[in-house]
Amino acid sequence: MAQRLLMGNEAFAHGALEAGVRVVAGYPGTPSSELIETVAKLHGEGSAHGVHVEWSTNEKAALEVAAGASMAGARVLFTCKQVGLNVASDALLSLAYVGARGGCVLFVADDPGPISSQTEQDTRRFAAFAKVPVLDPSTPEEGFAMMKEAFELSERYGTPVIVRPTTRICHASTFFDVAEETHARPAPAEGFEKDPRWVIFPKRSFEAHGEINERLPRIASDPTFTRFTVVEEVPGEGERPTVAIVACGVSAAYGREALAALQRRAAEEGMELPPYRFIAVGSPYPFPADLMEQELEGIERVIVFEELDPVVEEELLKLAGARHLPYAVLGKLTGDAPDRGENASDVIRECLLRFFATESPDLASWAAALQPETLRFEGPLPVRPPVLCAGCPHRGSFYAVKRALKELSKQAERAGEPAVQAVLCGDIGCYTLGNAAPLDAVDTCLCMGAGITMAQGLAVVEPQKKHVAFVGDSTFFASALTGIANAVYNGHDVTFAILDNATTAMTGSQPHPGTGLTLMGERRAPIVIEGVLEALGVERIRIVDPLDTDASIEAARDCLAFAGPAAIIFRSPCIQIVAPEEPLSIDPVTCTGCKRCITQIGCPAIGFDGTVAFIDASLCVGCGLCVPVCPFGVIGAVGDGKGESA
Amino acid sequence: MIDILLAGVGGQGTVLAAKLLASAAASKGWKVRTAETIGMAQRGGSVTSHVRMGCQGEAVFAPLLTPGTADLIVAFEPAEAARALPYLAPDGLLVTASSALQPVTAALSAQPYTAIAVLDDVRAALASQAPEAAFLVVEEAPILEKVGASRALNVVLLASALAQGRVPISIEELKEAVSACVKPRFVAMNLEAIDLACVSE
Repeated sequence: MAQRLLMGNEAFAHGALEAGVRVVAGYPGTPSSELIETVAKLHGEGSAHGVHVEWSTNEKAALEVAAGASMAGARVLFTCKQVGLNVASDALLSLAYVGARGGCVLFVADDPGPISSQTEQDTRRFAAFAKVPVLDPSTPEEGFAMMKEAFELSERYGTPVIVRPTTRICHASTFFDVAEETHARPAPAEGFEKDPRWVIFPKRSFEAHGEINERLPRIASDPTFTRFTVVEEVPGEGERPTVAIVACGVSAAYGREALAALQRRAAEEGMELPPYRFIAVGSPYPFPADLMEQELEGIERVIVFEELDPVVEEELLKLAGARHLPYAVLGKLTGDAPDRGENASDVIRECLLRFFATESPDLASWAAALQPETLRFEGPLPVRPPVLCAGCPHRGSFYAVKRALKELSKQAERAGEPAVQAVLCGDIGCYTLGNAAPLDAVDTCLCMGAGITMAQGLAVVEPQKKHVAFVGDSTFFASALTGIANAVYNGHDVTFAILDNATTAMTGSQPHPGTGLTLMGERRAPIVIEGVLEALGVERIRIVDPLDTDASIEAARDCLAFAGPAAIIFRSPCIQIVAPEEPLSIDPVTCTGCKRCITQIGCPAIGFDGTVAFIDASLCVGCGLCVPVCPFGVIGAVGDGKGESA
Repeated sequence: MIDILLAGVGGQGTVLAAKLLASAAASKGWKVRTAETIGMAQRGGSVTSHVRMGCQGEAVFAPLLTPGTADLIVAFEPAEAARALPYLAPDGLLVTASSALQPVTAALSAQPYTAIAVLDDVRAALASQAPEAAFLVVEEAPILEKVGASRALNVVLLASALAQGRVPISIEELKEAVSACVKPRFVAMNLEAIDLACVSE
């Protein structure tokens, strides 16, 4: 065993490997990606023996790979972020019926806030919909333990099991004792055994539904599952508590923190908090109703802290109704806890003060007098949203398409025709950041691959406009192919702008089918994007370097003018995976301060000091996109006489 | 309990800084938790790392610290120092880099922001609201130029902060953490940056 500082996701990878996982498959997505990367790293270092790990093309593919391996008896782990489970849901809903043989664990990371996601959907809700058990860790340590138990539970009941941490668990680090080496548990020697139960079929589904209905109540009272629901009693002097605090996931950690702070403060000021019971629910579905009924005996008021949906709050209400229990439930539904976003210790502290205040007049006046002491900054501050990196080739792609549209528009006006209007459909990835000023190049963004097909719907209704769908290379393979086939088949007049930067950039530079690299360390022939487009029947395909502005504008004009589906592949590697060039500079003497370089492309390496523009040499990677943008030609390499800095 | 907030701009190296502090604290036998901003905000947005150390053997529950409780804030950029101010404890230490990183939003606006103006506002806010707080503006540019690597910003700021003696982690312990956590070929450069930061204090 070795003590290591590990991020939650890294620790969960160790947990699964220590449990003997044989096949690990997923698709990148914040905050889940580091788990698979850690498995791949440990495999690459030779310490994780016998494991197969892969980035699958999308979540549905990954879960199906895992399902097959489980049917052969291997322990399998699937990973994704919360919205990734939507993509894999077709497989999951049926898999719950078909069942698992080798332990089948789904690691699905939720993102309250949301910090890096489209939705604040709650995977606990999804688990209930799919009728599969879900575990919800309150700390990375608990998640580590859950990863191991989840395989046991899965095999005991023949069901997939979900472990759903949230961002603050996934990306929190602490020290763990982990095994130096791990060995995948060998699949049973008899291998896959033919059995009608592996074939989903209406008659079989009816039987399987009954099996699910029978196993869920058994899981709800299985100590392997319910041991993650932890009860602590904070006694008064001989009094039994009449209030309870129920917290789920990371809210349990925040709740403990807030309660400890309030206890300290109360003790300092000679106050006493009422006795209370604290229940951390780590096994939310199937809800451990018997355990909770027992633990809520004598309780009159319960407050629930959970992020995302009021899942446990509703379960407690259901329990109260079904068993005529005399407690009141406070939480999201009653306005006593935040209805969305992240909880934090200070937010829970305020809620708890209000909760305790109704217990006695003394507590009420004490709570009312407690003011949080925080400093304020009232001066003006620049907002700092995320942006495309300095030197990002996507900037060139957006710029070229917008310039091409402008040129087509001018041409039309010269011919006495109306100006060209366009709708720019964005997608999921770094290039969603093309929405920011000054590029303003994302008019829609829905879900993975949606821009490709939404553009087609827009084109049906507004044929007089140009419709462009931007899609990244990883998203192209994950979920654009069916949409492109649809455009060819149904004859939609749209332009696909495929941003091929040779990596899955937003989630931290993962390989994909177009790179040919795999997590097992093999280098295969990459799947060629233009070959795919050609095979799908796209008749106009152009390939350009987005940092070559003139060529890019010409290619964009060509494709925009083409009747029917056309594709421009903008090909230039992500700056995160290539060495930077020498930074450029702006001559402060000849710069006129027109700000065109800033208003046209909005590169974060170009600032303005009030009089002239300047390049921050620590950010500039020398991509050169700004050079032709300057109408006065004052941007250039240091030393070439153009961009000489004073 | 020692609570430290690292505030900066995505890409500036707050994540490694948090790791260095965690490693230094763990070598002293303390319980540690850190939390990072990973994801979209890493693309040039405002980011924070939270580092919580149970320096007296106490348990650390939550990964995030709360407003008004940071014993130390290390800001990698002046506007981020200002943004993080509500987290500072009334008697905390705020250490900030002095060079501004202009966000595109500021370059586009009629009124670009300057480090000097923001730092003056921070100083005034501290003087009026938290007279017991300490404020240190690090002149990092000459040190970074000398070591020839802007990526040493994180260790320069950490060394400057620890040299104030308010957090019981020594410069020696920071150096050991660097040797343990940083890729071998960058260790010497980082150690040199730490020495330069301590000299200039």
